[in-house]
Amino acid sequence: MSTLSSVSIETGRRSYSGFGASVAALARREFRDALSSRWFILFTIAFAVLTIGVSFVSLSGVGSHGFSGFSKTSAGLLNLIMLIVPLMALIAGAGTIAGERERGTLVYLLSQPVSRTEVVLGKYVGLACALCCSLCLGFAVSAAVIAWRAGGVGVAAFSLLIATTCALALAMLAVGLLLSIISRRANVAVGLGLFVWLVAVFASDLGLMAGTVLFRLRVQDVFALAIVNPLQAFKMAVIVGMNASLDVLGPVGAYATQSFGSALPWMLWSVIVLWTVVPLSLGVVLFARKGSI
Amino acid sequence: MPLFVLTMSARALGASTEEIARLIDAADAGATLVVPPGVYEGHLTIKKAVTLDGDGRVTIDGGGEGTVLTLLAPGITIRGLTIRGSGSGVEREPAGVRAETGPVIIEDVRVEDALFGIDLRESPGSVIRRNVVRGKHLEPGRRGDGIRLWWSHGCTVEENDVAGSRDMVFWYSEDLTIARNTVRDSRYGLHFMYSHNTHVSENVLSNNSVGVYLMYSNSITLERNRLLNNRGASGYGVGLKDCDDIVVTSNAILANRVGLYVDNSPSSADSTGVISRNYIAFNETGLLATPITHANAISENAFVENEEQAASHGRGDLSRNDFAVNGRGNFWSDYAGFDHDGDAIGEVAYEPRSLFFHLLASEPNLRLFIHSPAQQAIEFTARALPELQPTPILTDPSPLTALPTTGAPIGMSSKGSRAMGALGAALAGVSALVVLSLGRAPRLAPTGHPERATGGQEAAS
Repeated sequence: MSTLSSVSIETGRRSYSGFGASVAALARREFRDALSSRWFILFTIAFAVLTIGVSFVSLSGVGSHGFSGFSKTSAGLLNLIMLIVPLMALIAGAGTIAGERERGTLVYLLSQPVSRTEVVLGKYVGLACALCCSLCLGFAVSAAVIAWRAGGVGVAAFSLLIATTCALALAMLAVGLLLSIISRRANVAVGLGLFVWLVAVFASDLGLMAGTVLFRLRVQDVFALAIVNPLQAFKMAVIVGMNASLDVLGPVGAYATQSFGSALPWMLWSVIVLWTVVPLSLGVVLFARKGSI
Repeated sequence: MPLFVLTMSARALGASTEEIARLIDAADAGATLVVPPGVYEGHLTIKKAVTLDGDGRVTIDGGGEGTVLTLLAPGITIRGLTIRGSGSGVEREPAGVRAETGPVIIEDVRVEDALFGIDLRESPGSVIRRNVVRGKHLEPGRRGDGIRLWWSHGCTVEENDVAGSRDMVFWYSEDLTIARNTVRDSRYGLHFMYSHNTHVSENVLSNNSVGVYLMYSNSITLERNRLLNNRGASGYGVGLKDCDDIVVTSNAILANRVGLYVDNSPSSADSTGVISRNYIAFNETGLLATPITHANAISENAFVENEEQAASHGRGDLSRNDFAVNGRGNFWSDYAGFDHDGDAIGEVAYEPRSLFFHLLASEPNLRLFIHSPAQQAIEFTARALPELQPTPILTDPSPLTALPTTGAPIGMSSKGSRAMGALGAALAGVSALVVLSLGRAPRLAPTGHPERATGGQEAAS
């Protein structure tokens, strides 16, 4: 509460200097709140420990061979990221506005001279910075382990993995924030976040797999349906960035590589960007409507 | 042997190959002709047993038409020449160098921009050594072979470097020695058609569609070759199709789409195949065999971190092959058994049974979902519900628990570890900096209210 009072001073003080300054002030406040919250510290530690574990297990026993391309380490990290990062981002986003609404602090915040759009964007930017910092810390530890065990993946490939992971986190955070805006209570928002996570990580893939088998879907249909899922788009973006081709993904990957060629990375990235921009805009619009407090 | 050495001053650009032809006409059979340095335009046909030595400073340019250099007499040696500019129409099969009788020796020759590089037709006993062949810049379907032997027994092909061609291919040629060649960015690195009794060793075949493809060829030994990153549409490191008495040993088979593909080899009733001491690692599929494949002795190989260690191409399993010889099986990096009596052989058989890969065998499109939590979920389900587990694709009764000494040219590298360390440090530094600078409570401007700002700082820290 007292954190909020300092921010209300800050936002109040800076509101005259414009939209950007208000968003920045709100973002800083959100960032600080995130850093001092338990979920954030827990997730950062969990992510770091798991990436170390994966790097160790993938590199242990056999030594490394300095191959470029898609290595076992990257595959292991990819799996871990697809499991943990969406969960982290969805819950971070889901807790924020619904939580303040439930605690009653949202009314107080909105009584300050800041617009509702600024509140949504400020919260988004602050949480996004916090998430990216958390991920980078995890990756830094993982990079140290890989370096120590004599590089199994290339630096360029690893940097690409980090960038794409941050993009995925931003998209999932936007979805989480949207859930938070439409939910009246924090529990509901987090529950919805978990549900979306289950669907994105498991249900949609398993459903599409079942559909592929049952309906004998053509490769182009499988591909089109798969990339709607931001997690699949993320996975393909990482693989195409490391490998310049999706051939490791079998006939569907080969089809995508042949049909879209150099446009493929842009396509996949635009899916991730759309999953960021659309939920965020929708959130801004919905939050701006009266009576959403 | 009479020696006839010509010493002339360096030629200006644009000389004609007729000048070389005149030198050859003037020489006796068996003479060594040192061709004056320069670029010679046109085509050349040699019908006399001479040695043509360009000392690396002679270029013959065919101007993009026909076959550039044709060898029509046994006993010809060509050495130190650059041959370039053959025709490109595939119907006449124009080549950089073509021999139509043997033996000939082709050494230290560089062939560029030729549809076929070096083409031996019925030239037994020839030697092709230390040549460099670069194909024409054509789409893969229109390229010719880098080096081709046709009905040429007893030849030696060694230390050649071929890139950007179709195949290095051996048709109906027996008793060959193929060693220390490099083939990359081509279709098939080494391709054997009906060519028997050959020893293939220490070649490096990388980034081709297929590394070594043996078809209908018997009694071939593949030893200490390095097959790296061959990932074309079929994409095999080594492919064996209907071949008898093949020995594949001490090869490093790394990061191919399929490490080793075996289709009905051995095909005769009384022959066997030996696949031993290979280092098969980081491939999408380590060993892929058609269910009809049988009578292979597969032992003491290291199967390391292949996405799928072994698979059957089509419905069925690999159980008609022996995965252990004299009580020694293979090393499988995903083996989860244990070694009780300390003899480095696991007490529990290795039996891979992955439900996901079982599904893949009948529905290849599902490979899209590899490397995802959904794949893990399927494997977990199969472990939790044993009735869902497929039957194992193979049984290795005595898996090795320690990596065997294979003698394969694996080539370790620790490049990039320093860069990776730097990346880690940079990431940690940047995120720590961001956390420290943004994570503190804001410093208010002097016009603000200091006492309330202090309160905010306490709360944040």
